[in-house]
Amino acid sequence: MKLYVYCLAEGIDVRREPTLGISGASVRVLKTENLSVLVSDLEADSAPVTRENALTHAAVVRSVLDYFTPLPFRFGTVVTEQQLQSYLSTHKAILESKLESVRGRVEMSVKIIWENTIEQQPQSQNKSQVDKQGAGTMFLAEKRQQILGDEHRAAEASKISTWLHETLSELVGDEQVTLRPTERLVVSAAHLIERGKIGQYREKLAEMRQNRPDLHFLSSGPWPPYSFANIGLEFKTQFGVS
Amino acid sequence: METFVIEEWEETELSLLETLDHVLNRGLVIAGEMTISVADIDLIFVGLNVLVSSVETANEVLRKRQSE
Repeated sequence: MKLYVYCLAEGIDVRREPTLGISGASVRVLKTENLSVLVSDLEADSAPVTRENALTHAAVVRSVLDYFTPLPFRFGTVVTEQQLQSYLSTHKAILESKLESVRGRVEMSVKIIWENTIEQQPQSQNKSQVDKQGAGTMFLAEKRQQILGDEHRAAEASKISTWLHETLSELVGDEQVTLRPTERLVVSAAHLIERGKIGQYREKLAEMRQNRPDLHFLSSGPWPPYSFANIGLEFKTQFGVS
Repeated sequence: METFVIEEWEETELSLLETLDHVLNRGLVIAGEMTISVADIDLIFVGLNVLVSSVETANEVLRKRQSE
């Protein structure tokens, strides 16, 4: 029998409300010293990625968020109890530090999308031009235009990201920002903010929307701090390992 | 037309997409113990071009596991 692991938190003694987890198993609390982990039994070795399972995972983690800010595990974390206990004892200090950093805070998410994709202006390529300049020259000219357009979009994305950062900096405790993860997505950002500042955060975003109608904002939250839970990423950032 | 589609997502699917994006792509990982199966995948957002990273991530994990 393995354990499906949902999240880690401090001081959860009993479940306030009985919750069903993956495969309909009851969610329970596994305690180790000061750390509590929400788990449920799983007969299989893995949890299939289905919409139902993903939403169940999210619902269990969210059920804790009303009372504490947990450190969520990524979907699909299946271990033996011995492996989990070993993980908790090995990483106790950093996990406690992480819990401290998210205490009283939640994650807010914002994705900014180009409302109108900046398109290249295709050069007219009639036969006479090709004959005049040569196919090779035309190809290089188009390639150059493509690169310039890409550089322009990158510069614009960087400007928007800076604007987002500066506008929200007073409210944001920590942030994870990805520039242009896809062609149309300019910026994807996760912000860690105090629970009491959610209203101000939304107001700021509303102002930003009004100031830049050429951009489309997709905002959501509050979330458990999924984007701020990863120990590996912190190690990478802290020690500059790439 | 494209804007309309995005607005529709915002109303009906954004919450689900964001949930999937969070739980599949982020969170604590116990190294070497993450087990994901996409055999029974029925996520509804395959084919959308804004928030497909979750499926891509799941597929990448699967590919890595298969190549090991």
